[in-house]
Amino acid sequence: MAIEENRTNSGSLDEAVEHLKEAEVHLEHAREDEAKAEREVKEAIHEIEEASQHDEVNVNELEKTTFKVKIHATLQQVWDKSYKELKLERKPKDVFQTASAQPKSLMEHLQLTLEQARDRKVIENFHFGIASETGGA
Amino acid sequence: MAQIVPPTPVLDIARGIASLDEDIPRVLALFGKTAVEELGWRRPNRSSLLVPIEGTHNGVTENYVLRLGFAAYRKWPPSAQFVNPNTLTYAHPVDQHHLPILTSPECHVHANYAAANGRTLQLICCSATQEFYDTAHPVEPALIWNEQNTFYTTVAAIQKAMASFYGGRFAKL
Repeated sequence: MAIEENRTNSGSLDEAVEHLKEAEVHLEHAREDEAKAEREVKEAIHEIEEASQHDEVNVNELEKTTFKVKIHATLQQVWDKSYKELKLERKPKDVFQTASAQPKSLMEHLQLTLEQARDRKVIENFHFGIASETGGA
Repeated sequence: MAQIVPPTPVLDIARGIASLDEDIPRVLALFGKTAVEELGWRRPNRSSLLVPIEGTHNGVTENYVLRLGFAAYRKWPPSAQFVNPNTLTYAHPVDQHHLPILTSPECHVHANYAAANGRTLQLICCSATQEFYDTAHPVEPALIWNEQNTFYTTVAAIQKAMASFYGGRFAKL
């Protein structure tokens, strides 16, 4: 009788241990899910922040315009938008450059984003200029 | 496109000075500045402006002084001459080394250009300089100077060439 009781108790204990293991597995999965959800929330917040973050750029030619673009916009995109903002006709030999007392051509860096161009010291600020074609010889 | 030879500029100094007075604030506004000195420029008299121009060739950066004259402005572009920074004038051949070698198809510097009338002069051959028209150069109609331009068009055209077609300093003679 005592033996049988012990067997019964032992069976319950094994069962309980098994349940505990299962519960721990569930908990681990739940924690993984929670961590994943937290990452997704963070990513979503980052995306929202990026989407809403715009940096002000200045572009001049004969007139000056100021508009906002994302920090991840390329110099090519900023240049393209400049024509619309300046209501200016684009000409094939136009050059996009920095706007400073000694401007630098940006034609070899058009694929860089504003952020990359700034980090790599290609530009010092977000002030740009368009130099139009002239005749000469 | 077919090129034409525009008429020769007519001088009107009073109008040139008035137009310069009018355009300086307009150009400064492009840079968010309020005085030409903030850009390193100088106005030695009412009808001229001195603009430092920088060029880098083979890792060597050199400085030049561009003198803009406004005797026919704004109907015509400013006169543009690189000058000796000490005398603020240009005499060939002694001042030749104060000139940058510029060989852009849109802007070419000649140290001693012989014009058709027998006159010789420094010529920044670019449709944004008065000398280009003084020497009767042919040009595409779309590229002829128009009165919507300002003297900054001239500066920008020269700086544009300096950025990509600068070949160092002319030799000292």
